[in-house]
Amino acid sequence: MVWHRGVYAPRKGAIFHLWRALDARIVIPSETGVESVWIPAHRTDTLPSDMTTTDHDPDRTADVLIVGAGASGAAVAASLSEASFDVVCIEQGHWQDSFKYPSADPDFDLKAISSWSINPNKRRLPVDYPTNVEDSAVDPVMFNGVGGSTIMWVAHTPRLHPSDFRVKSQDDVADDWPISYEDLEPWYDLNDHVMGCSGISGDPANPPRSTRPMPPIPIGRDGEMIAGAFDRLGWHWWPSDAYINSTRYGEGRDACNFCGHNMLGCYQRAKASTDLTYWPRAIDQGTELVTGARVREITTDSTGRATGVNYLDAEGIDRHRSARAVVMAANGIGTPRLLLLSDSEKSPNGLSNSSGLVGKNLMFHMFGGASGVFPNHPDPWVGPVANIILSQEFYETDSDRGFLRGYTFQMGRGQGPGAIARGVAGQRAPWGNEHHAILERRFRNTLSLGCIGDDLPEEHNSVTLDKRLTDSSGLPAPKITYRVSENSRALLDHAIAQGTKVLEEAGATEILINPQSRETGWHLLGTARMGNDPERSVVDKNGQSHDVDNLFIVDGSVFVTGGAVNPTPTIQAIALRTADYIINERGDLKA
Amino acid sequence: MVIKPDADLLSAALDRVVPPVGDLPGAGGMGLSEEVIKRCSADDRFNGALNTVLEALPSPNDFMALDDGGRDGALRAVESSHPAAFGLWLDIVYTIYYMQPDVHARLNWHGRSPQPDGNEMPPWDESILSVIRQREPFWRKV
Ligand SMILES: Cc1cc2nc3c(=O)[nH]c(=O)nc-3n(C[C@H](O)[C@H](O)[C@H](O)COP(=O)(O)OP(=O)(O)OC[C@H]3O[C@@H](n4cnc5c(N)ncnc54)[C@H](O)[C@@H]3O)c2cc1C
Ligand code: SF4
Repeated sequence: MVWHRGVYAPRKGAIFHLWRALDARIVIPSETGVESVWIPAHRTDTLPSDMTTTDHDPDRTADVLIVGAGASGAAVAASLSEASFDVVCIEQGHWQDSFKYPSADPDFDLKAISSWSINPNKRRLPVDYPTNVEDSAVDPVMFNGVGGSTIMWVAHTPRLHPSDFRVKSQDDVADDWPISYEDLEPWYDLNDHVMGCSGISGDPANPPRSTRPMPPIPIGRDGEMIAGAFDRLGWHWWPSDAYINSTRYGEGRDACNFCGHNMLGCYQRAKASTDLTYWPRAIDQGTELVTGARVREITTDSTGRATGVNYLDAEGIDRHRSARAVVMAANGIGTPRLLLLSDSEKSPNGLSNSSGLVGKNLMFHMFGGASGVFPNHPDPWVGPVANIILSQEFYETDSDRGFLRGYTFQMGRGQGPGAIARGVAGQRAPWGNEHHAILERRFRNTLSLGCIGDDLPEEHNSVTLDKRLTDSSGLPAPKITYRVSENSRALLDHAIAQGTKVLEEAGATEILINPQSRETGWHLLGTARMGNDPERSVVDKNGQSHDVDNLFIVDGSVFVTGGAVNPTPTIQAIALRTADYIINERGDLKA
Repeated sequence: MVIKPDADLLSAALDRVVPPVGDLPGAGGMGLSEEVIKRCSADDRFNGALNTVLEALPSPNDFMALDDGGRDGALRAVESSHPAAFGLWLDIVYTIYYMQPDVHARLNWHGRSPQPDGNEMPPWDESILSVIRQREPFWRKV
C-alpha cells in the first residue's frame, strides 16, 4: 500500500468552508506543519460511478437545484452542500469509469472520431444534443456527463490577466467586467487546491500567485527545445499550470505516467475531472445527483421567480423538481438554450432575458497556429498532449500590431499516425504516391504552437433555438451563428507568423500552418454575461439574474470578454464565488 | 434504400489512396475494404461518405480497366466534386489503416495508450528557468 504526503497552506483570513472539508477528510497535524494523507492510489472499491444517491425524497423542495454536473456545477454543489444547503443536481449524462476509457482500446482512434469524438454532432449519443453549425465558423465541442467537459479536457489551466477584466477602460472596446482579478483570486487559489494544480509560481507575465500544490509536470526534452527557442528570441515562456497530478494528489488519484492520451479520458485519474475532485466531496456532504435526466425548462411562479425545473428522467418520464433557487451550470451553449426554452407569458423572450442578451455575444477563442516538423524528435508521444509550456509574449494589447488584445501560445505534442494523417497538425496528409513519405516525415516529429486568441464579444455571434433540429427528447437544438472578426483574423495571422519564427528557431525543417481550426469550440463563453447594468447584462457580479432573484448562472456564459487563456479555472472560481455569495448573503434560500 | 458497397471497387480505390510501402501491400491489398464497410455500417455519417464516394467513382468495371494514373484521376475528380464526403472518407480510411498492427510494427509505434505502465520522462529541472527568471514582470497593471 502506498501513502503519499504533502503540505497545504490555506490562505489566512479567508472563509473557506471547502478548506474545512479538505481538512476534515485528509489533513492531519504533524510537528512540521499540516500534512495530508491520501488513500492508496490503486483502488477498485470506490469508483465514482458506484456513487448512487438514492436516499433523498424527490418530492421535497430542495434549497438549491443545479442544472449540469460539469466543471462549474460540481464546484457549486460541493461548496453549498458543505455549508449545509440541501442541494440537488440534474445531469443529462452519466458517470464515467476511468478503467473503461477508450484510450487503451485497439480501436481508440476510430472512437476518437465517432462515439468518443469531442464533437457531439459526431458522437451523437442519446445524452448529447446536436447543434446546428451551418452558420458557424467553429463547431462547439463538449462532453455531457458527470464531470461535464472536464472528462475530455486537456486540463491546461492558466488564469485570466488583470487587464482582461478592464478591456473597455484600457482598449476602448467591448466592456469591463463588474469584478476584478483581485476579486476572484481567493477562489482561483481554492480551486487550484481542490482540482490539484501542478505548476510553479514566479511567471513574469502574470501577477504573483500562491505556491502551486504540486511541482510542474516535467516539460520533456521537446519542451526544453521549444523553451530554448523562446529564450534565444528573448520571448516569454513558462511551464504550464495544469490540473494534472505531477505527484499523487487527491483521493485515489495517481501521478501522470506520461501516457500521452489525455483527451480520451485519463486511466491514471491524474487529470482532474470533477467526477473525481468535487463530486465525491459534494455527495459525501449530502448533494443529490440525478443522472440521465434532461432539464427541459426552468419553472416559475406568477411573480416570475424560479420554482424548480421540469425534466425528462432516464425513462423519458416528465418530472418536476422544486427548489428555492436554481443555479444554471449547463455551459455557454446549454444554459442560454435552456433559458430560451423557459419562455412564459411573463418572459416571452426566454427567462432572465429582459436585456435581450441571452444567447448573444458567444465567444469561443479562435484557435489556429503553426506546427513544426523536427527530424529525430526526442521522445515522441511522451507526456500530456498540451500541458507543457505557454508563452504570453503577445498577450497584452500593442497597437503597432494591427489588432486589439492578444493571445497565448500553448505548446502541443504530436499524436499517433491516424491523427497526423487526418491533419491534427493542421493539414491532412495527401493520399496517393506521396502519402507514406509525407506521413513518415510528420509522424513522431511534429510539435505545435497553438494560438488561443482573445475573442471579443459581438452580438451577432449567438446561440438561438433551431426551428427544425431537435435532441433525442424532441427539444429544440441550439443554432450557432459565429463569424471570425477582422480583429481575430489579424491576431491569428500575427500568431502564425510569430509561431513560425519560434519553431524555425527551434530547428523545424518544415512548417505546417493551421489558419483556424473548426472543431475547436471548446471554450463556450459570453452568452449570459455579467454586468452592473440590467439593460446590458443578464446577471450581476454575483451571478444572480437581474430579472429573477433566485436564479443564478455560474458557467462560462457569464464571461464579459474571453481573455486569451483556457477558461476553466476562471469558470470554477466564479462558480465558487457565487456559491459563497449564496451562503453568506442568501440565507433566505435555505429552509 | 440500403446500398451494398462494392468491396472490389473500394479495395482498388484503397490501394491508390494508401499504396503499398516496404513489405506492406496497399490498404486494399491488406484486405481493409471489408473492415471499412463494416465500420461504416455502424455509423450513418461514415456510411453516407462511403456511399457518396463509391457512387461518384466510375463503375467497378470501368475503374478496374484504368491504369494507376487513370484511377488517381478518377479519385481526384471525386475529391473536387464531393470534397466533404471525400475528406471524411479519407479520415476513415486513414484511421482504419493506422489501426493495423502490421502498420504499427513498420512505424515502430506502440499503438494504444501504454497504460498501466506509462512512459518515462526526464524529471522536472528548475534550472531551465534561469533565463526567463531574469525578466521583470511585464503584465499590464490596471
Ligand atoms: C476537448 C476539450 C478540451 C478542453 N481543454 C481545456 C483546457 O485545457 N483548459 C480549460 O480551461 N478548458 C478546457 N476545455 C473547456 C472546459 O472543459 C470547459 O470550460 C468546462 O468544462 C466548462 O464547464 P461548465 O460547467 O460550464 O460546463 P460543462 O463542463 O460542459 O458541463 C455542463 C454540463 O451540463 C449538462 N447539461 C447541459 N444541458 C443540460 C440539460 N438540459 N439538462 C441536464 N444537464 C444538462 C451537460 O450534460 C454537462 O455535463 C476543454 C473542453 C473540451 C471539450
Ligand atoms: S498523459 Fe498523464 S494526464 Fe494524460 S492521460 Fe496519460 S496519465 Fe493521464
